[in-house]
Amino acid sequence: MDGTYRPGPFGRSLAWVTALYLVLPILIVIPVALTDQRYLSLPQDGISFRHFETVLTSPEWLGSIWQSFTIAVAATVLSVSAGTLCAIGCWRISRRATELVRVLMLLPLIIPSIVYAIGLYRYFGPLGLLDRFAGVVIAHGVTGIPYVVITVSTALASFDPRLEQAARGMGASLSQTLRWVILPRIAPGIFSGAIFAFIHSWDELVMVLFIASRDVFTLPRRIWDGINENLDPAMAAVAVLLILFTLALLMADRALRRRSEG
Amino acid sequence: MSAATGHALGLRGLTRRYGSFVAVDDVSLEVGQGEFLTLLGPSGSGKTTILMAVAGFVAPSEGAVLLDGQDITPLPPEKRNFGMVFQGYALFPHMTVAENVAFPLRVRGMSRAERDEKVRGALDLVQLAAFAGRLPKQLSGGQQQRVALARALVFDPNLLLLDEPLSALDKKLRAELQEELKALHRRIGRTFINVTHDQEEALSLSDRIAILNHGKLVQAGAPGALYDRPRTRFVADFLGKSNFLEGVVRQPHPGGFMLEAGAAQLVVALPDGEPPPAAGARSLLSLRPEKITVLAEGEAAENIVEGRIVSWAYLGAGFSLRIETAGLGEIRANLPTWRSAFAPAEGLPVRLGWRAEAAVPVAEDVA
Repeated sequence: MDGTYRPGPFGRSLAWVTALYLVLPILIVIPVALTDQRYLSLPQDGISFRHFETVLTSPEWLGSIWQSFTIAVAATVLSVSAGTLCAIGCWRISRRATELVRVLMLLPLIIPSIVYAIGLYRYFGPLGLLDRFAGVVIAHGVTGIPYVVITVSTALASFDPRLEQAARGMGASLSQTLRWVILPRIAPGIFSGAIFAFIHSWDELVMVLFIASRDVFTLPRRIWDGINENLDPAMAAVAVLLILFTLALLMADRALRRRSEG
Repeated sequence: MSAATGHALGLRGLTRRYGSFVAVDDVSLEVGQGEFLTLLGPSGSGKTTILMAVAGFVAPSEGAVLLDGQDITPLPPEKRNFGMVFQGYALFPHMTVAENVAFPLRVRGMSRAERDEKVRGALDLVQLAAFAGRLPKQLSGGQQQRVALARALVFDPNLLLLDEPLSALDKKLRAELQEELKALHRRIGRTFINVTHDQEEALSLSDRIAILNHGKLVQAGAPGALYDRPRTRFVADFLGKSNFLEGVVRQPHPGGFMLEAGAAQLVVALPDGEPPPAAGARSLLSLRPEKITVLAEGEAAENIVEGRIVSWAYLGAGFSLRIETAGLGEIRANLPTWRSAFAPAEGLPVRLGWRAEAAVPVAEDVA
């Protein structure tokens, strides 16, 4: 902002060092992905795109990418519908009890996912949901709800309740008010929640390790196995692709927010 | 918009409790067809709660709301067909001016062509036809207020409810919009119910004012009648400014009495038919500062009190004086500045005078 005091040299360098510290581990995979060697290493005689080629032509990698993508899309749909309805419900009723509901909804975020995964494993077995597309979608969808509840509740907090009164006073039914007044106002919040829910499912590993084995083999699972079995630089190439994809999603989120604020 | 189709509204013993707090306490009131009624009171007096009960957003604990004699208390707001202008206007920020105004018509499933025509008519009514394509945030406060009015009127509502419609505007704009609102009311002949804490707005806009305090209806009447004949200390104090003179009643007779206040004997005249208080009773008089004059040398008046100016202020159109009197305590008087012969100064001895009908007996408020 113009006119404010600038930070001193010490404060400024500390900020830069911290930022670098956070970003470096992400950046290191980029040269590794471009290595010309057959094992996980930095490029030696020159850079090469052969590992990207491997990933983008291998049926295993492409299959996992596709599977992860479809699971993430289905899980996002589940998270968004349940999370949005929950947030709107809590907001409309807004009593003590709804605070409790909201806290309950955040539980998947607070409880370690390995604990959650053990629980899922126990009761997905009898239900026949282990190693099933539907099982992973349910697990990811439910644990993605908190992100949607948080972003939609934030959007609703700045929603003027008089707009709802105005709509009802002019004769709008509850569903008309929801469709024409409330949803358009909180759409950016819903979209943000959807992006976070998608990313959550897209890179989730712990639960997948427990509840999926052969038929469902998501991308994070394949990277995990790849690292455990051989140090194929293809993993670094996948990692770079993942980073680019996530960055693109976050940019979309930012752009949308800016448009709705502007 | 068809003219002169106002509806009558009645409140019967309307009460609203929140736990042990009584927000509205047994209010009964009739609003005539085409009348402009203002609910006036300080914050927390229950005026907004009454409006919300009329609109259907607040369910009364007891009592009923009647439209043309029919009980509408159980109807939800969307079934009442009342137009409402909210405090802060509550325009839909994601819709253009035209879409905002079209909203109540869209809700009613009206065809697009019919809708467009009505919207145009409503925007013409508030002189905003040129702004149809703008978003609310691209309009000034006064323009937003007019959009809210157009939106509240476009669907031919039975009543127009206004919740502090002008409170967000600056003083000059407020005066302008007051005139517009009044002209609009006269032109479309609908029943308007307005809520405000601004006494000037209430006086200038309304056919009738209902004054509320602590959830109770204190007094209702035409602005002039309320201002000139307040019945309680609260009304006299809230609507304009007032001096209060306390004393003992002497020599009551039809048409007036004498009030013995300190060392002074004041002559009080009552309007026809108002019975005088009993002799020896305590009485409180309300005396408006502008009904007091500073008497010239040798000038006579029905009531004369001598005193000294403690302080004074120049207010453009008038002087405001604080005068320490002999026996009546401190009195405030307002004088028009055009009486240029008079030049106030601190410590200046003055003789104050007022007519017998200027002071009005008022009841002490029951706390």
